[in-house]
Amino acid sequence: MLKVINGGIESLVEDYPGRLGYLSKGMAPAGAMDNIALRFANLIVGNPLTEAGLEIAGGYFEAEFGTNTVISITGSNMKPTINGEPVPMYEAIEVREGDVLKFDHFGETGFRSYIGIAGGIDVPIYLGSKSTCLFGNYGGYKGRKLQSGDILNFGKPSKNIRSLIGRKLKKNIIPEYTNEWEVKVMCGPNTCPDYITEEGMDYLFSHPFKIQLSSNRSAYRLEEIKISNFFAREDGGEGGSHPSNIIDHAYGMPGALNICGNTPVLLVADGPTLGGYICAFTIIKSDLWKIGQGTPGRDLVKFVSVSREEAAEERRKVESLFKEQSLV
Amino acid sequence: MRSYDVILDILSGIENQPEILFRQVGDRFLQVEYGRVQRAYLPDSFRIQAIDRKVNSENIEGLIETVPGLRTNLFHFDPDIITIEELIGIIKNIEKEFKSIDDVVIESRIIHLPIAFEDSETKKAVEKYIREVRPDAPNVIDGYNLKYIALCNGVTVDEAKKMILSTEWYNSGGGFWPGGGFFWPMDPRCALVVPKYNPPRTWTPEGAVGIGGPCVFTYTTPTGGGYQLFGRTIPTFQFSQKHPLFRESPFLYRSADRIKFHETTEEEILKIYEHVHDKTDYKYEIEEGKIVVKEYLDFYNSEEVQKGAQELKRKQEEAKKTAPKL
Repeated sequence: MLKVINGGIESLVEDYPGRLGYLSKGMAPAGAMDNIALRFANLIVGNPLTEAGLEIAGGYFEAEFGTNTVISITGSNMKPTINGEPVPMYEAIEVREGDVLKFDHFGETGFRSYIGIAGGIDVPIYLGSKSTCLFGNYGGYKGRKLQSGDILNFGKPSKNIRSLIGRKLKKNIIPEYTNEWEVKVMCGPNTCPDYITEEGMDYLFSHPFKIQLSSNRSAYRLEEIKISNFFAREDGGEGGSHPSNIIDHAYGMPGALNICGNTPVLLVADGPTLGGYICAFTIIKSDLWKIGQGTPGRDLVKFVSVSREEAAEERRKVESLFKEQSLV
Repeated sequence: MRSYDVILDILSGIENQPEILFRQVGDRFLQVEYGRVQRAYLPDSFRIQAIDRKVNSENIEGLIETVPGLRTNLFHFDPDIITIEELIGIIKNIEKEFKSIDDVVIESRIIHLPIAFEDSETKKAVEKYIREVRPDAPNVIDGYNLKYIALCNGVTVDEAKKMILSTEWYNSGGGFWPGGGFFWPMDPRCALVVPKYNPPRTWTPEGAVGIGGPCVFTYTTPTGGGYQLFGRTIPTFQFSQKHPLFRESPFLYRSADRIKFHETTEEEILKIYEHVHDKTDYKYEIEEGKIVVKEYLDFYNSEEVQKGAQELKRKQEEAKKTAPKL
């Protein structure tokens, strides 16, 4: 087990792929915002890739271990230390009872770190997942972010923990981070000519958009649309007075680019499952993780439209990374 | 330069029903849309529900879930198990089985829900709004929203209550909030329409019932919200799954359910809360039933119903001129 000393900015129990199959019941999938970093964290400590780990957003998380075990730290480099000594990332490290793990703030690139723990985290499985949905306050650890004094129990490791020590990800497999994320998307459902003008669609792909400071696990808000001929309609018909309005439809969650008035908003992990705004495109499965590392108030996102075949190829490339051969 | 075209296929409609568009939504979703016009017309949803049941009964490998709405259905699939072309093919084949509107019949339960109008718990939510969010809110009249609802529709409070009680409210599908449903009046003569709160409330009690635009919503858990409140009903969702009705899943509502309200006292409502959440022995009144679309259309298009619906629309147009905007 571990005892939280400082919950930091936002530390949560999250798994992969989250709570699937409940969109029509108003329940977002939740799950790790950067599913690749979580899956690497699990791979390194010998867990099933779907197991829950800790998602540390922003930083400053601090905890004391109450058991000897093996952990891994992936994602953004928040200069993690154990008892004040720097520890390597993307590597299985041994921790002993009484050790204190501490994170600084988010790194020069990336916004979320992940902790994988041999055996995973022992929280109740609610509707098929251990993930926290912050927006709805359910799942994970009591439906909320971790705070000082919380005690998290671990599951039973699949392998002898001694045999895990030193397992690490090959250097060339570690994803490259940046402050300007190129995110691949496929268009739809609402594009030109019926909802958005061709100029409007071109605009979405023409320049990087800054991630607004108000972004969170439900919505990544981007800078406002600044051209006047973006919308193809005068109004939303029976859906509402603004041309971004539509009669409520389900959102392709996570990953939809919602046009909310003049603000483009990426709907992510805990986001709404249905609503009355048009959606211009949807992030492809292989690229969802990049949003999880996009830093609000600092990073830029540039969208690139790809074909169905390219999206399939990207999925194949990403999924092929999670195997023993990726480890040293 | 890539094309922005996302309509992958089109199927012509039946009788007076619109054409069906198959829209690409990223690499994991498909949206099936009924017609190109943004219209709120229940028979579109009836057809979507009929197709949705059929598709889901086939246990298609790779289909993760469907999310039906009023005029669209979203198919969430694993593209590494089933291709979008295969999925469209399956849906089209099922659509083609419905040759005429006579073939469209959907299972639709009727859930009877007691309601206490203007109860003290939802009143607290309105008071909190006035105190903390918008002291001059024009939608709060005498400390509540009911008079504003009446005002917007050109009817009296008693008439508004009667409309809420006399129609069945049809669930076009859940979404947005855990366990919620979006309920539309089956009887167009009861089609109240109101603007939503601006800005929204920060708190609403469990069981509060409100209306926003044309839709009624029963709040499943305490949360913020924007619908105009008119009363409180019993639990329609249970996180803890203690009550036998919720043991299988925490949700009461299914798509295409209808709810029918009957008026009761606040005291009775509070007693039921205890019997749902603590004693877990409350018996929900749920009737099995179906909607035969042809019969519904006969009712909907009948002279009497159309006359009443037009009359209400006229009153609403008049009321719009004077009701305060939000």
